[in-house]
Amino acid sequence: MFLRESGRATNLKINLEALITPTIEIGVPGGKKILDFAEALIGTDRSKLDKTRINLADTIGPAAVSAAAAIAANFSKNDRIANGCGIPTEPKMLKASKDIRANLGLNDFRSAENTFKHFPEER
Amino acid sequence: MQMVLYADSKYPVREDVDAIHAKQLDQIGKPGTWGTAAQRLAIAQEVRDASYEVGLQERPEKAQPKNNTKLPSVAQEVVRNLTVSPKDFLEASYNKAKKNGLGDEEYVEIVGIVSRITCMDVFARGIGVPLRPLPEAREGEPSRDRPAAAKKEMAWVPTIPNLPEGGEDAKALYGEGYKTYIVRGLSLVPDEVRMHLELEETQYLPMEHIFIPDYQHHEGLTRAQCEIVAGRVSALNECFF
Repeated sequence: MFLRESGRATNLKINLEALITPTIEIGVPGGKKILDFAEALIGTDRSKLDKTRINLADTIGPAAVSAAAAIAANFSKNDRIANGCGIPTEPKMLKASKDIRANLGLNDFRSAENTFKHFPEER
Repeated sequence: MQMVLYADSKYPVREDVDAIHAKQLDQIGKPGTWGTAAQRLAIAQEVRDASYEVGLQERPEKAQPKNNTKLPSVAQEVVRNLTVSPKDFLEASYNKAKKNGLGDEEYVEIVGIVSRITCMDVFARGIGVPLRPLPEAREGEPSRDRPAAAKKEMAWVPTIPNLPEGGEDAKALYGEGYKTYIVRGLSLVPDEVRMHLELEETQYLPMEHIFIPDYQHHEGLTRAQCEIVAGRVSALNECFF
């Protein structure tokens, strides 16, 4: 949701589907290189990670590597806290993300059950 | 002179990230709320061993000191499953841990440590440096402080409610404002919330700026570019929140 809002604030036409299907153009400068690096960083192919790191640095700059690593690392933490504690998403956030969730298939994530068991009407 | 944790990085690392990671690695080597220092380090070591085995991390070429503390199998299973595949970690995983004798307090501290060490290790892998060595275990006993206000709300684990219900515990941990579950999830162990937020504010952005859509915290990426990383990682981990 913050991606959609930050896109609006900076006049970018962002295609959120690229978060699920990264072959689609996302509409953010350097987006493909960023997506490739993020995926490789939490994946198991080290040579792919090394390649995408170089591509990211060459395209956006060396500081983009440490920034992207910091964000990916932070959300690797948050995803484990959320899925490990079984937390629900707040109703306000659910309402704001209804179309995004439906379009991207997020409601099918198994962790969604931690929310829908409390707010079945938001499914 | 202060040591620089990521001095070997080819890529510029913010001073605050460097300092927070050094502090947090050190903190894992101290007695916690429910675990001894040796147990906490064994959790961190288990995260790394599980990650090496499936290829999520590379074993450092230089041998690092190994913690010989053995975790109970119930704790080991939680650590390994949450580390390797958070998308497959379901309520049944939590219920199984409880049934096999893990208390909510210990469970929450384990989730916090797994999440934080994963965070620091993913960062190291991202900038292309070997994992930082774990510290030596310090002497001392866990504090065993359980917040009186913690109760079963909507998460699997008990949490400290927002004000006014959460009372002094909520005020001390959250301040005056409303906090979402991603902040409150670990609140049965308040130190884990503090550590989680410290990383959050440094690596993502300060919470007071979260609703400013073009706020830029990192020199290297715009807010939209940061959100792409966040969105893709959470999609791959199938995290709904």
